[in-house]
Amino acid sequence: MTHDTQAAEAGHAPASAAWPIRLDGVSVTYPNGTTALRDVSLDIDAGEMVSIVGLSGSGKSTLIRTINGLVPVTAGTVTVGPHTVSGLHGRRLREVRGHVGMIFQGFNLATRVDVYRNTLVGRFARAGRLRTLLGVTSARDREVALTALDTVGMLDKVWSRAAALSGGQQQRVAIARALSQEPSIMLADEPVASLDPPTAHAVMSELERINAERHLTVLVNLHLMDLARQYTRRMIGLRDGELVYDGPAAEATEADFEQIYGRRIRPQDRLGDRT
Amino acid sequence: MNAALDSRSRTATSRPASERPVLALPPRPSRLGQTVATAVVGLVLLVSAATLDVEWSDLRELPAAVAEYAALMFADPDWSRLPRALFEMWRSISMAWLGAMLCVVVSIPLGMLAAHGVGPAWLRLALRGLFAVIRAVPEVIIALVLLTVTGLTPFTGALALGIAGIGTQGKWTYETVETLRDGAADAVRAAGGGRTALVRWALWPAALPALLSFALYRFEINIRMSAVLGIVGAGGIGSMLANYTNYREWDTVGMLLIVVVVTTMAVDSVSGALRRRIMEGA
Amino acid sequence: MSPGTTTEPATRLDLPPRPRTWPRRTLVFSALTAFTVATCLPAIGGIEIDLAAIAQNWRHGAANLSALLQPNWSFVPRTIQPMLETLQMAFVGAAIAAALSVPLTLWAARPTNPNTVTRTAVRAVINVVRAVPDLVWATILVAMVGVGALPGLLTLVLFDVGIVVKLVSEAIDSTDHPYLEAARAGGATQGRMNRALALPQSLPLFSNQWLYALELNVRISAILGIVGAGGIGRLLDERFGFFAYGDVSVIILEILVVVLLIEAASNVLRRRLA
Repeated sequence: MTHDTQAAEAGHAPASAAWPIRLDGVSVTYPNGTTALRDVSLDIDAGEMVSIVGLSGSGKSTLIRTINGLVPVTAGTVTVGPHTVSGLHGRRLREVRGHVGMIFQGFNLATRVDVYRNTLVGRFARAGRLRTLLGVTSARDREVALTALDTVGMLDKVWSRAAALSGGQQQRVAIARALSQEPSIMLADEPVASLDPPTAHAVMSELERINAERHLTVLVNLHLMDLARQYTRRMIGLRDGELVYDGPAAEATEADFEQIYGRRIRPQDRLGDRT
Repeated sequence: MNAALDSRSRTATSRPASERPVLALPPRPSRLGQTVATAVVGLVLLVSAATLDVEWSDLRELPAAVAEYAALMFADPDWSRLPRALFEMWRSISMAWLGAMLCVVVSIPLGMLAAHGVGPAWLRLALRGLFAVIRAVPEVIIALVLLTVTGLTPFTGALALGIAGIGTQGKWTYETVETLRDGAADAVRAAGGGRTALVRWALWPAALPALLSFALYRFEINIRMSAVLGIVGAGGIGSMLANYTNYREWDTVGMLLIVVVVTTMAVDSVSGALRRRIMEGA
Repeated sequence: MSPGTTTEPATRLDLPPRPRTWPRRTLVFSALTAFTVATCLPAIGGIEIDLAAIAQNWRHGAANLSALLQPNWSFVPRTIQPMLETLQMAFVGAAIAAALSVPLTLWAARPTNPNTVTRTAVRAVINVVRAVPDLVWATILVAMVGVGALPGLLTLVLFDVGIVVKLVSEAIDSTDHPYLEAARAGGATQGRMNRALALPQSLPLFSNQWLYALELNVRISAILGIVGAGGIGRLLDERFGFFAYGDVSVIILEILVVVLLIEAASNVLRRRLA
């Protein structure tokens, strides 16, 4: 597979350069009154691979969703590459989102739709108005989507319905969907939380490889400390919507994690080693 | 055949093959069955539409006609007959309510007996057959038949609604009882209770909220049905509406329609709210 | 679970106070009684319960009933053409309604139409359409466009659209659509997402209700003729008018058979589509 992949990569000139991400004093308060983020400022360089660690409810899902505007900020500014996301609407916002790939804990595939068309969703932002209206895809869209499926090794399932795939396979298709956007940034919201340990390691390696080979900025939410240490160089810790750690992942001590979690380390905070 | 599809999809997806590696795309699965089925349904549809006694070109004039009649009805509805309309509306509501009560009172015991593990097998089959037949015949026809026996009055209209609804209501009853049976029923049986104890202490309390909710739903259905029975002559708002439509007094028809729509939506929302409360309390 | 087993305690137990449910029960019970009594007051439009009239009518009715139990089989050939028309109306009506229901449903459901204004407007129109009973629509449409199959067809379309849009949009509202979030994150427009993902994903919901609408259509189109809207109902009404109960019973039996057949067929289809 690796051979094929490299061939595919070689044929694919990097269509997009990585973008830096900058959050400046970002706060998010939801309409129901809960404050999910408090005055968070961050600078992530183009091509970095960064993990965001915290317990559920610490605001890491919110943080990652402010970057592509799925969650509007209440205060502060979010900048990706040349665009200021906060304050964008409609067509402009969709264009920026087209450059930011995202994968989810629940894979978020349309289960009754085949893998092929699920992957083509990643091309929607690039379609012109006429194509959008008619709902047709260009030869280039098909080419990019199929190449992305090939990259994650899912090309042989291209005509299967998403529901017929295992969790790990579904996440690979979801990665292919994000890759077919030819993104400048890749966001991953708890991408391995619904997977068994070997599959989780495989998906994390896939993200690592994307970061290395495509030089994409990768931002990944995790709640497991060993995955953060193993796959990312820089780690950001969130607790109750506040930034409590920002530093090298490998050197983060147990005490650092206890500070992020706000409690003692428990066995379930570790996934366990690659088998 | 698959090979042909395969090569087609290959060429379609890897057209710029000169510069890109050829992807080993698996063959697209055949959808022949689906295509044939769609074609057959489409053909039957076209033939049905073409041989139907409808001048399809008339449809072009339809929007203008609708606008014209809507203006006749609703531009200036005749409110002078409102008191009479409310009187008739209450008659329809009464028909619907009494019909729903009758239907529920009859269908709950019959439906319980038709549930698995309550009545004997022969009775269960007979009752289920009866429910199925009543369900299959349109309510209006059941009503028309009953009305030839009993004469056309609002009271017989209510009777007709009560009987016509037994089919569906009975089915809902035994389905509800059957989904609830297991846990509570086992407990009563384990405690040595007989069939009566089973129904009284296990099935009835557990099924009651759902049955009450269905009873209200029957009332909502009957509100519509009672207007329909009025059209075939049982009295109430339906009769009044049919009469004024025949006289072509459109401003009155408009007023009557407003009364029907407002009443129906009001009953729907009140009854719907009650149903939600009952089911949440369950 | 079984309060019936509570017997008079031999020793005095320290019971917590019984919750006072009786005031509420009494209130609900008296409200229901008052409502029921009001529906039986002829002076305000309620119904006069007159069992004597029914008893009086009974001899006459018994004769009718026995006539109904003797189907006049020689009438069958005359029913075939109108029955066919009934089925055609049911099928064509269901198909037109199915086509119309797709955009309207996607408009009326929250995940596929985040715009509150248009969503509320579509829902309001659908609720008004649904509040008018089928035969009332038919009566008015016959007066508007004339006797024939067209008003019947329009009635069926209105009725089906009402039921499909309401049930399917509520079903779409009550399920999760995580794939829409993913598509939104990828920069897709709402229209494109609906078309490429939400529609195929919701297709089983649609096809289920389309089949249900077809079943209902067969039952409704059988009676539309009573008000002049085409199909076998016209013949039924005519035979009733002539007191030809043997013919009436043939028609009813035919409707019964056709309805059961359509239901069986649609059950088979439903299982295959699931």
